[in-house]
Amino acid sequence: MSATTTRSGTHRRRAAILRQFRIWSGVVACVLFLLPIAWMLITSIKQQRDIFTTPPKIIFAPTLDTYVAYLTNNDLPERMLNTLIVAGGAGVISIVAGAMAGYALARVKLRGATTIGVLILLSRGVPPIALAVPMFLVARAMGLLDKHITLILAYCTFLIPYVMWLMRGFFKALPEELEEAAKIDGCTRFGAFFRIIVPISLPGLLSTLIFSIILAWEELLFALVLTNRAASTVPVVISGIAGDTVNGANWGALTAVGTMTVIPVVIFALLVQKWLIQGLADGATKG
Amino acid sequence: MTPAALLLFATLAFPVGYTVYISFAEINLGTFTPDEWVGWDNYLTALEDDRFWDSLSVTGIYLVFALPLQMFLGFAIAFLINASWKGRGIVRAAFIIPMVVAPVIAGGIWRMLLDPLWGIANYVIGTVGLGPIDWLGDPYWAMTTVILIDTWRWTPFVTLIASAALLTLPRDVFEAAEIDGANWWTMLWRITLPLLVPMIAATFVVRWLGAVKMFDIALAATHGGPGRATTVVNLFIYEEAFRSLKFAESAAMSLIILVVTMVLTGIFLRGTKMLEERH
Repeated sequence: MSATTTRSGTHRRRAAILRQFRIWSGVVACVLFLLPIAWMLITSIKQQRDIFTTPPKIIFAPTLDTYVAYLTNNDLPERMLNTLIVAGGAGVISIVAGAMAGYALARVKLRGATTIGVLILLSRGVPPIALAVPMFLVARAMGLLDKHITLILAYCTFLIPYVMWLMRGFFKALPEELEEAAKIDGCTRFGAFFRIIVPISLPGLLSTLIFSIILAWEELLFALVLTNRAASTVPVVISGIAGDTVNGANWGALTAVGTMTVIPVVIFALLVQKWLIQGLADGATKG
Repeated sequence: MTPAALLLFATLAFPVGYTVYISFAEINLGTFTPDEWVGWDNYLTALEDDRFWDSLSVTGIYLVFALPLQMFLGFAIAFLINASWKGRGIVRAAFIIPMVVAPVIAGGIWRMLLDPLWGIANYVIGTVGLGPIDWLGDPYWAMTTVILIDTWRWTPFVTLIASAALLTLPRDVFEAAEIDGANWWTMLWRITLPLLVPMIAATFVVRWLGAVKMFDIALAATHGGPGRATTVVNLFIYEEAFRSLKFAESAAMSLIILVVTMVLTGIFLRGTKMLEERH
C-alpha cells in the first residue's frame, strides 16, 4: 500500500516537473519566434544613425520619420491601395466561386467526385512559374499587363482550389437534414444553399475569406511578373527595397514598410484566430 | 460548380495548356508570340543545362533539410505549448504572427538580422565568443540561412495544425496507460505518435505542396546567391524567363517541374493513404 502511494507520488511530482518544463520551454520558443518581428518594429522607429551601430542600440530616441516619409512623398499609399483592391477582389471572387463549387462537391452525387477532389489537391502543386510565363505572354498580347483584373484572376488560380478544399470539408460536416427540410418547404437547391447553408457557415466562410486575402496580400511572383507601375503591390516594393544593391541596405524603409504591411494582417488573423487554426487543421486533413 | 470550373479553366487549365504549346515552339521576341515549331528542342536544351540541374539539386537539398526540420519542430513545439495553463491562448495566438508575415518581408528582415557588419545575429553570437559567421556570403552558410528563414516562417504553421491535432487525441487512452504505469516516453512512442501518423502525413503533404513553390524567401534574402548557391528551381526559371527572356525554354523547364511535382505528390498521397489504413 505504502509502496503504491510513493510511486504515484513520484509520478505526480514528475508530471508536475514535466508540465513546468513544457510551459517554460513553450514560452521560450514563442519569444524566439517573435524576436525577429520585434527587431523589425524597433528598427522601424530608429533614426538612420541609430540603425547602423555596434553594439546594436536598444535605447534611442524613437522617430516616425520613415513612416511619414513613406506615407507622404512616395507611391507607397497607391501600392497599398492596389494590394487591397487585388487581394480583396481575388478573395471575394474565390470565396463565391470556391464555396459554391465546394458545396457541389460535398453534396451533389457526382461520378468521379473523388477524382475531382484529388485533382484539386494536385492543382495546388502546380508551380506558379508554369502559370506566370503563359499569363505574361497572353496578358501582354491582350494589353492586360499592369491591370488589377489580371492579377486578381492570377490569384484565383491558387485561391479557388484552396477555398474549394476547405469549404468542401466544412459543408460535408453539416447535417443533410438541413437542406431536406428546406426542400420540403419549397426551396430550390440554390435557395437552400443561400438561405440555409450560407448563413450557418458564415464564420467558416469569413475566416476562409480572410485567409485567402492574406495569401493574396503577400503574393510576390505574379505581382512581379504581371505588373510594373499602375497595379503594382506592396510585396514588389519590399522586394525592391530588400534587393537594392545600388543604394545599399535601407533598413529603415524595409522595416517601416514591412511593419505597415504586417500589422493589418496580424490584426485580422488574431481576430479570427480560432477559426483560422481550425481551418488550417481541416485544410490539412479532411479529404 | 460551373463558375468555379469556368474560372479554373480560364486561369489554370488554359495557361498550363499554353505552356505546353510554347514549350514546343520558339518565341519571337519582337511580337512575344510563338512562331516556329521546334519539337523537343527546348526540353533538350533544358536537360543539357547544368544550371538547371544545379537549381534542382539546390531545391532538393532545401526540401530534404527544411521539411523534416519543420515537421519535427512544429510537432515538438505544439506538444510544449499545449500544456494547459492560463497563458496557453496567448502563446498559441503569438504563433500565428510569424505565419502571416509575408515571405518577402521575412527574407528581408532576416537579411538585416544576419548582415555581416551591422546585423544583430553576429553581435549576439560574438558576445559568447563565436563567429562572425558569413551568413549570406558563404555558399554553405547561405543555404543554411535560407533553410533557417524558411523554417522560421513555416514552423508556426505546422505548430498550429499540430496543436489542433494533439487536442483531438482521445484522453482516456492516455489515462488508461498512465494507470498501467507507462512513463511519458513509452506513451509518446507507443500511443501518441501512432495516433498522430495520419495527421503528420497530411501536414507533410500540405507543407510539401507549399515548399516546392518556394521562391520569395530566396529572392529577398539571398537573391539566389552567392553565385547560384541558393537559386531554387523556381527562382532559376523566373530569371531565365523574365531576365533572359527565354520563355520557351522556361516553359519546358516549368513543365518538367510540374510533372516531377505531380509524380512525387502522387507518391506522397498514396503513402499517406497506406499509413492511414495501417493504423
